Amino acid sequence: MRLAVSDAADQITGGRAVPEEKKPVIVAKNLTVGYKLHRERKLLTALRDITITINKGEFVCLLGPSGCGKSTFINAISGIVLPWEGSMEVDGKPVTGPGPDRAMVFQDYALMPWRTVESNIRMPFEFQNLGLSKAEIDERIAHYLDLVDLTGFEKSYPYELSGGMRQRVGIARALVTEPKILLADEPFAAIDAMTRESMQSELEQFVSKTKQTVVFITHSIDEAIILGDRIAVISRRPGRIKEVIDIDLPRLRFDSDVKSLPEYSEMRERIWDLVKDEARSGAHGEE
Amino acid sequence: MSEDELHTPEKSDQYSDADRIREVKLSFGSLWDQYGTSAVTVLNLTVFFIFWEIFARSGVVNQVFFPTASGMLQTLFEGLTSRAPPDAIISGQIIDHLLYTLRTLTIGVLLACAIGIPGGLLMGGNRYIERILSPYVWGLASLPRIALVPLFILFMGFTVKMQVTIVTLAALFPIMINAWAGVKTTEKSLIAAAKVFGANRRQIYSNVVLPYTLPFIIAGVQQGIGRGMVGVIIAEIFGGSNGLGFLIVRSADTFNSELMYAVLLLLVIISLSFIKITRMIEVYIAPWRQQVIM
Repeated sequence: MRLAVSDAADQITGGRAVPEEKKPVIVAKNLTVGYKLHRERKLLTALRDITITINKGEFVCLLGPSGCGKSTFINAISGIVLPWEGSMEVDGKPVTGPGPDRAMVFQDYALMPWRTVESNIRMPFEFQNLGLSKAEIDERIAHYLDLVDLTGFEKSYPYELSGGMRQRVGIARALVTEPKILLADEPFAAIDAMTRESMQSELEQFVSKTKQTVVFITHSIDEAIILGDRIAVISRRPGRIKEVIDIDLPRLRFDSDVKSLPEYSEMRERIWDLVKDEARSGAHGEE
Repeated sequence: MSEDELHTPEKSDQYSDADRIREVKLSFGSLWDQYGTSAVTVLNLTVFFIFWEIFARSGVVNQVFFPTASGMLQTLFEGLTSRAPPDAIISGQIIDHLLYTLRTLTIGVLLACAIGIPGGLLMGGNRYIERILSPYVWGLASLPRIALVPLFILFMGFTVKMQVTIVTLAALFPIMINAWAGVKTTEKSLIAAAKVFGANRRQIYSNVVLPYTLPFIIAGVQQGIGRGMVGVIIAEIFGGSNGLGFLIVRSADTFNSELMYAVLLLLVIISLSFIKITRMIEVYIAPWRQQVIM
């Protein structure tokens, strides 16, 4: 992905870790949420009593074992699921449904297979009116196609693309409306290791430049440390926030070879200690 | 940087288009790749008919029951290209009966589509409609349709209306159940994506559920045509004085085995053509589906 990152991005190194003014964007207070199991007459609590504040321009990684409710948390931010108890506020307003200020990247890409790459990226404009003219929309689409290096693939269908390229379409679709908040649900989990690393690096560069607020789900500790300003470790179902860890390693982490720093391995060790109990008890759980 | 260097014009001069795109020489291998399977099929069928001919002429089986391949093919050809003489034992030639059968089948299948597609979509989309209708749909779908033929003859007599009703009923359930299943199995993540990007209920239905269901509907129609074909032949065998089903009974009654085998072969050809055509439509409308299955 040839991101249009200016040289300025290199000078940002470390600058993002402590934003000058902390303006809360996402505020969850005692949030309890879950979903209905269809077969049985049961309501399943996915998350219990979550309280967290995510500030403007912050990159927060949610780390936890599978089935711990991480996805439910970003679904609650996106407005697909609504709180049972407690509250979820975005920009000071309670979330009542999806909105153009939030966009999501999905683990399985979730591209419409019958739409071309270009048409998939245009989809958000078809469903919501952002007050842009046709020409402005076309320009946006061209810009983001270029950003994810898919110029020339406008007329291709998702099935003609590799996994990495499909997710680039998914990312372009999420960014094209220029949302305040980018939500990502294990976006690189289904992508091969080499492509994943380069996409992580590109995402880091892009976010460093745009100061986008990102909530990013992962079950990879390394991915969380490389990308996150903060990591929220979530316990297994019903999910609670076990600990929130600040990552104050210098940016850009891919370029500065942060993995060789002693702090990195310390951090990794510490997070692994937190996660491993969860992973273990999860393995013996009733799932 | 290194990638850019690779694309500089000086370097790419060394590799002309002729190097990258090679002309494939006409060889046995390339001809085989293109026409090989068709050639095998033609050869295969030729051998089949030759063995048939030899077997029939050998007299192991009486030709009253088992005609020669050449006789059958000749009957088929004449029946499709000429009109029957007025004093013929069986009124009408194969072509007349074929057109009659195709007309009944088409009307029946179209009616089945008109009822089955909206019905299936409604059942998939609305839980209450699904609850109410599903016992009847499953009940009728599991009932062998032949069992209903005497009832319809009782109601409507030996009429076209009766035949069309049987075809419709035979074709209806595969179409309806497929449409229903398509809606029900729409991928949840696609619906979630549409929701996140602001789609309302109606938009989710028209932009996600319907396109997703389309290949299912085509598959349903494909099955429906097959079932409808069975239905129309049964209806014509039971009661009627027209159509390929009638022609089979009539040729059996008159010991005209060449005609009967010709009609049977024709039925095979029609069925295979329908399958082929619906496959082509499927590939044209939903090319992505092929990839998903593979």
